[in-house]
Amino acid sequence: MNPRKLLLRTLSAACALGLWWLSSGTLFNPILVPPPHKVAVNLWEMTAEGEILFHAWASLRRVIVGYAFGSVLGILTGVAVARIRIAEDMLEPPLQFVRNITPVAIIPLAVNAFGLEEPSKYFVIIYSTIIPVVFNTAAGVASTPQIRVRAAMCLGAGRWEIFARVVLPSAWPFILTGLRVALGFAFMGVVAAEMIAAESGVGYLIMQSRNMLLPEQMFSGLFLLGLIGLVTDRAFQFTIGRLMRRYMLQTAAFD
Amino acid sequence: MSWRVLRLEGVGKDFDRADGGVAQVLRDVTLTVERGSFFTLLGPSGCGKSTLLNIVAGFEGATTGGVSLDDTPVTGPGTDRTVIFQDVSNALFPWMNARENVEFGPKMARLGARARQELSEKYLRLVGLDADGGKFPFELSGGMKQRIQIARALANDPDILLMDEPFAALDAITKKHLQVEFRKIWNETGKTIFYITHDIFEALLLSTHLAVMTAGPEAGIKEIFQIDLKEPRSPSNPDFAALYSRVESLIDEEVQRMRAR
Ligand SMILES: Nc1ncnc2c1ncn2[C@@H]1O[C@H](COP(=O)(O)OP(=O)(O)OP(=O)(O)O)[C@@H](O)[C@H]1O
Ligand SMILES: [Mg+2]
Repeated sequence: MNPRKLLLRTLSAACALGLWWLSSGTLFNPILVPPPHKVAVNLWEMTAEGEILFHAWASLRRVIVGYAFGSVLGILTGVAVARIRIAEDMLEPPLQFVRNITPVAIIPLAVNAFGLEEPSKYFVIIYSTIIPVVFNTAAGVASTPQIRVRAAMCLGAGRWEIFARVVLPSAWPFILTGLRVALGFAFMGVVAAEMIAAESGVGYLIMQSRNMLLPEQMFSGLFLLGLIGLVTDRAFQFTIGRLMRRYMLQTAAFD
Repeated sequence: MSWRVLRLEGVGKDFDRADGGVAQVLRDVTLTVERGSFFTLLGPSGCGKSTLLNIVAGFEGATTGGVSLDDTPVTGPGTDRTVIFQDVSNALFPWMNARENVEFGPKMARLGARARQELSEKYLRLVGLDADGGKFPFELSGGMKQRIQIARALANDPDILLMDEPFAALDAITKKHLQVEFRKIWNETGKTIFYITHDIFEALLLSTHLAVMTAGPEAGIKEIFQIDLKEPRSPSNPDFAALYSRVESLIDEEVQRMRAR
């Protein structure tokens, strides 16, 4: 990063903290909206006690399981919708309908159907993940240039080879975009689910802190949420940059 | 496969239009392409040249008539015929470097790594890109990409190359170079070429046979020429110039006819 950029970024962060610090005690009740230094102290204590790690890991574990299932299911469904006529006719209408129902709205249903334990969280995350993955995968598969497929036919590729070696690689940029969006959705879903029914996790931490009048802790939860999101997204991009670089050459740089 | 002639017999093609009507594009196209010849189709824009090439490639079926190699009907795409597309950016596999692109056909033919490498080296050298095998398509110019596409087709050893305005998108200088080079490649490899262009000069420079098409709808063959111009071919040669204006007037006639409708 060049010095100018670094300076500007430091400046903007300082401004945000300054505004927060000024508003706490003037605009807002300092008991309910504590100033940044108090939050920092709380964050430090909670980290030292292991509470941060405990809740972060609880949310992350749920996301890993739900996201893995949701991604695989989403890719398979997306491919089916784009390539198989019957699948398109049968799945497209319900998917178009369901995509309007936000993951948060599905939580009460998830609790009714799968109880208060882990399965309801998994359901919410799978649901959050699957929608963007299906639609992006289907769009990617459908957008494979016809002449690329025809070129492969002339070169002796069979049906399966055309799919595995031409259609899927052509669709990767779309699929990966869907997966990246889905990762964000998965965190939104899990946090909302944890706020409503859970004994652990970042969403639980935030809600519980508010209920118990521990606003510093609530802010620590929010900070944690931002941090986890940032780190996972960066990790995702890094991995893609390493493993899938050649498939991203067909589009603008992936960032 | 040993065959002597590629035959198009009474080929007609209708398309169902989006508005529910029928587009009658080709009508009763009959022609014979001898093995080893450089056969060029020339015709006004939109007359159905690409449609005809797609039928020969086996991408689309004819509505009437058919295509055959001697007496074996063409029923679909096959490794005996490879298409060189004008839109090379989409025709190449962007996630493969030049060498991997060229080795795609041999890979589909289940050749070993060693044999594949020999082929890619040979054909990259033939198109003058032996030093660029590691580059990806996005790192190559339009002309270089088209050379890669030619190398990829040749590495698969087809009998016929079907080329749909392969150099039309290139700048004039690159185009001229590739035309000359490609004619040399054709000479060396002895492939049969089925070539589409709307560039009369290019047609006269390259072909052994030239078919001029009538304007659509219901386009057909207007006239077929056998070209025996003195080598090296040059527009300053009076025979070249005479043939040029003859072909040009045929095309103009068709364009006039199309306008009049
Ligand atoms: N899939 C299709 N459905 C309906 N009409 C089509 C279809 N494909 C081609 N046509 C029509 O067939 C005619 C011939 O098209 P084609 O692309 O073969 O022309 P062309 O001679 O290659 O033209 P150009 O020189 O511009 O490349 C055009 O009028 C076109 O609109
Ligand atoms: Mg065309």
